[in-house]
Amino acid sequence: MTGSELNRRAVRAGLLGAVALVYLALAGMIQKFDERNLIGSFLTLGNLLMALPPLLTGYLATRPRLVAGRREAAGPRATLAAGLIGGAIVGGITAAGVALVEALPEGAVRRIFIQVSPELLSILTFGRGVPVGLALLLVYGAVLGLLGAGFRLLPERIRPPIGVGLATTLTFALLQRIFPPLLFELGLDTRWLYSPVLLGLTVPGALLVFAVSAGLTALWGARGPVVRQRVRQLPPERRRLLNGTSLLLLAVVLAVLPQLIGSTLSQVLGQVGIYLLMGLGLNIVVGYAGLLDLGYVAFFATGAYLTALFTAANRVTSLGDLVEPAFALHLSFYLAVPFVILVTAFVGLLIGAPVLRLRGDYLAIVTLGFGEIARVLVQSSWLQAYTGGPQGLRDVTDAAIGGVGFRDPQPFFYLVLVFCGLAIFVSQRLAGSRVGRAWSAMREDELAAEAMGVSTIRFKLLAFAMGAAVGCLSGAMFAVQIGSIAPASFTVLVSITVLAVVILGGMGSIPGVIVGTLLLIGLPGLLDEFEEYRLLVYGAALILVMVLRPQGLVPNVRRMRELKEDEAAQDQWLKTEEPPAVTVGGGGGAS
Amino acid sequence: MTQTRQHEDESPRPAARSRTAVLAERIPIRRIILVTLGILITVGVLLGSWKTLTLSEGRISGAGWRDFLVFGVALGSIYALIALGYSLVYGILLMINFAHGEVFMMGAFASYYVAQSLDTAGLLESSPVLSILILLLVATAASMAVAVLLERVAYRPLRNAPRLVPLITAIGASLFLQYTAASFFGGNSKGYPDIPALEGTWTILGIPIAKTLAITIVAAALMMVGLTQFISRTTTGRAMRAVAEDKEIASLMGINVNRVIVTTFAVGGFLAGVAGVMFALVFGLVQYNMGFIPGIKAFTAAVLGGIGSVTGAAIGGLILGLVESVAPVLLLAGIHVPAPNQLRDVVAFSILVLILIFRPGGIMGSDQPERG
Repeated sequence: MTGSELNRRAVRAGLLGAVALVYLALAGMIQKFDERNLIGSFLTLGNLLMALPPLLTGYLATRPRLVAGRREAAGPRATLAAGLIGGAIVGGITAAGVALVEALPEGAVRRIFIQVSPELLSILTFGRGVPVGLALLLVYGAVLGLLGAGFRLLPERIRPPIGVGLATTLTFALLQRIFPPLLFELGLDTRWLYSPVLLGLTVPGALLVFAVSAGLTALWGARGPVVRQRVRQLPPERRRLLNGTSLLLLAVVLAVLPQLIGSTLSQVLGQVGIYLLMGLGLNIVVGYAGLLDLGYVAFFATGAYLTALFTAANRVTSLGDLVEPAFALHLSFYLAVPFVILVTAFVGLLIGAPVLRLRGDYLAIVTLGFGEIARVLVQSSWLQAYTGGPQGLRDVTDAAIGGVGFRDPQPFFYLVLVFCGLAIFVSQRLAGSRVGRAWSAMREDELAAEAMGVSTIRFKLLAFAMGAAVGCLSGAMFAVQIGSIAPASFTVLVSITVLAVVILGGMGSIPGVIVGTLLLIGLPGLLDEFEEYRLLVYGAALILVMVLRPQGLVPNVRRMRELKEDEAAQDQWLKTEEPPAVTVGGGGGAS
Repeated sequence: MTQTRQHEDESPRPAARSRTAVLAERIPIRRIILVTLGILITVGVLLGSWKTLTLSEGRISGAGWRDFLVFGVALGSIYALIALGYSLVYGILLMINFAHGEVFMMGAFASYYVAQSLDTAGLLESSPVLSILILLLVATAASMAVAVLLERVAYRPLRNAPRLVPLITAIGASLFLQYTAASFFGGNSKGYPDIPALEGTWTILGIPIAKTLAITIVAAALMMVGLTQFISRTTTGRAMRAVAEDKEIASLMGINVNRVIVTTFAVGGFLAGVAGVMFALVFGLVQYNMGFIPGIKAFTAAVLGGIGSVTGAAIGGLILGLVESVAPVLLLAGIHVPAPNQLRDVVAFSILVLILIFRPGGIMGSDQPERG
C-alpha cells in the first residue's frame, strides 16, 4: 500500500467522520448527553460521542488491507500521518460548520436545525469562542485521530487488554444506575467507585476497573486456550455438572436481582422481559422459518386485549363512566392464558393462511397491513363496546396467586421471568426438532425443501401459529403489568423494534435475541436521555447490522453460513495458503 | 395465474397416498377460501352501498359525493406520484424501497423552510407562480439528494444479498430518516404557510374545485406525461428500460448500470419531491412521520396498478385515492358503523392485502410477479 493511497483513504474516512460528528451535533445528542457524567466530571457521554468520530476515523482509516490475500499494513510513520490527517479533517470540517453558524445572523440556523443552540456551540469550541475554540477543535480532532492510528501500532499482545479495558470501564460507567445500588445492597461502600454527586465513576474507580479488566484480559489471553482445552477434555458427566452449576448460578443471580436493584430498575427488567417474549416469538417466524413479519404487534395486541377480556376489565364511556366491555369472562389469569394462546395461535393461522404463497417482500408488506388494520380497528368507534376505543381498557385483573399480586415491578419480574424461561425452552426444543429442521430447510431453499417432502404450507402455518402463541404471552404480560391497555401502545413501531431486536442479536439465535433485547430495550431504560433517540438508533442499527454483520451480534451458526456462503466461496482460494501479515514500507514509500 | 394453478391442482398425483391426503388435494382449500372471501366482499360492498344510497336520513347529497370524488382524485394524484418512485425502483432492483415515503417527507420539509422564508419576504403573496416554482425546485432537489444518498449508503452494498436483507435495511432507513427529521427539526407538526392566490375554488366544467386540489391534479398529470416521455424517448430512459429487463446484458451492452440505478432513484426522488409540495399545500402541514402512511398507501397503489408499470402506478393511485375517499362512507354509513372515516386506512390496507393475495401482478401488470 502506498503512502498516497493511505492518505486518500484517510481523507475519505475523515469526511465520513466529519459527517458523523456534524450529524451527532445536529441531532442534539452531544449536547443532551453532556449531562451524563461517565468518569468524574471530566468525561461525559457527550464528550465521548464527540471524541468517537475522530478516534474511529484514525483507527479505521489505517486498517490493513487484504491485497491478493495478504494483509498489508503500512509503516508506523505513514499510519500516524494518516490518522492525523483523518482526525484533522473531522475537526476542521466541524470547526468550519461552527464558524458558518457563528457568521450567519443569530438564530438563522436554529430556525431550521433546532438543536444548534449556543450551548452546543460552546461545547464544540470548548467554551473558548470563535477563533481560539475553532483552532482547538481542529487540534482536538487531529490528536484523537493520531491516538486512533496509534492504537493500531500497539503490539498484538497489548491491544486486546487495552481495548477490553476501555470497553469495560465505559460499560461500568454507563451502568451507573445498576451497580451502585447493587453493591450497596450487598453491603459494600461504593463511594470510592461511583461518585454520589456526579453519578459516574470516580477517577480512581475508573482506573481500577480499567486495570482489573485489562489485567484479566491479558491473563485470559495467556491462559485462555489452555483452560478452554481443559474444559473440552472434561469427561461428559463433569462437563454436565459444570453446565448445571453455571445454570444454577444464573438462576440464583436472576432470583435475587430485583431485590438488589430496586423497583425502578426492576421495571426496566420487566420491560426487557416483555420484549424478550416478543423477540422470541418473532424469532420463530423470522429467524427459524424465514418469514419476514412486519405486523407482529398484532399478536401482542391480541394477547393483551384477550387477556383483558377473558379476565375482567373496564372501559371508559364517552360520559366518563367505567363500564364492563360488551364481552367479558371472569377467569383467573392462569386459566385465561391457555385460551389466549389458543385464540391467538388461531389468529396467527388466519393471518398466515391467505399470505402463504406470497414471496418474502410482499409477505412483509401484507403483514404490515394486517398490523395497521388491527390497530385502526381496535381504536375505532365501531368496536368501542369491546375494546374501549382510543382510551382502551383499564383495571385489568391482576395475576395474583393467593392474594399475592404481581403488579409491582419486583414480583412482576419473577412472573415474566417464568414465562421467558418457558418461551426459551420451547424455542430451543423447537429449533432442534423435526419441525425446526423443516423450517430451516424451507428458509434456505423453499423449492428444494418441498422437493424433499417438506410440506411448506403446513410448516409456514405452524410458524405463524407458534410465533403468535409466543408473542401473545408478551401481550398478556403487558396487560397484567400496567393493568391498562390502549391502542397507542400497539403501533407499527413496536413491530419494527422487535424486528430490530431479532436482527441485531442474530436471526434464529436465542442468545442473540436476549443480547438484542438487553441492548435495545434495557440500555435505553437505564439512560433516560437516550429515550428520545431510541428509534433513531434502531433504524441505524438495522442498516449497520445488515451492511456490516448480517448474521447479527451473537449469530446462529447455520444462519451465518447461509449469509456468508458467497464470501466463503470467494475466500476459498485464500485459505489454501495462509500468508503471514506483511508490513510494508516506512514513511510512505512504495511497497 | 388462476390458469396455472388449475393445472397444478388437476395434475395426476401418485396413487399411493392416504385417503385423507388425496381428499385434501382434490378439494383445493385455498381456492375455496379465496372464492368465499371474494363472494363475501362483493356481497358486502353491494349491500353496504345499497344501504347507504337509500338511507332515509342523513343521506349524502350529490354535491357531497362530488366533493368526495374530487378530493379522491387529488389524493390519488399524490399517491400516484409517490407510487411511481416505488414502481421505478422495483422495476429495476426488484426491491421495495420502504424508505421512499421518507424521501417524500424530506422534500416537503425542505420546501416548508423555503416557504417560510418566502412568506416573510412577502414573495408568497406577490408572485405566487414564481414561489411555487422555487418550492418545487427546492423540494425536488432535497428529495433527489436523499434518494440518491439512500441508494449509496443503504442499498448498494447489499445489491447481491438475499432478498430480505435490503428490505430490512430499507425499513431501518425509513425509521432512521423519520427520527433524524424529528431530532433535527423537532417532532411537532408545522403549519405550512398559506399561499393567498391558492385560496378558494375554481369552477372547471361546472364543478367547483379547490385551487390546491386543481394544481395537484394538473401537476401530477404533467409529471406523468413527462416521465412517460422521458422513459420512452431519451437515451437514459432507454437505458433504464434495458437495465430493468436484464442488468447483466445491459452492462454488456455498455450501459453503466450503477449510473442508471442512481438515475432511477433520482427520478423517483424528483417525483416524490413534487408530491411533497402538493401534499403540504393540500393538507397545510408537515411532520416528521408524514411520509410513512402515504408511503405504504402509495406502495399499495403501485401494486394495485401493477408494480413496474408507469400507467399502472397512475391508475393505481387514482383508484386508491377515489376508493379511500368514497368507500368508507359508501360502504359503512349505510350499515350504521359510527364515524366511517376513521376506517379509511383500514379500507386502504384491506385493498393492499386483498390485491396482494388475489392478484399480485396488479391491474396493469403482467400476472407473473414471481420473476427474479
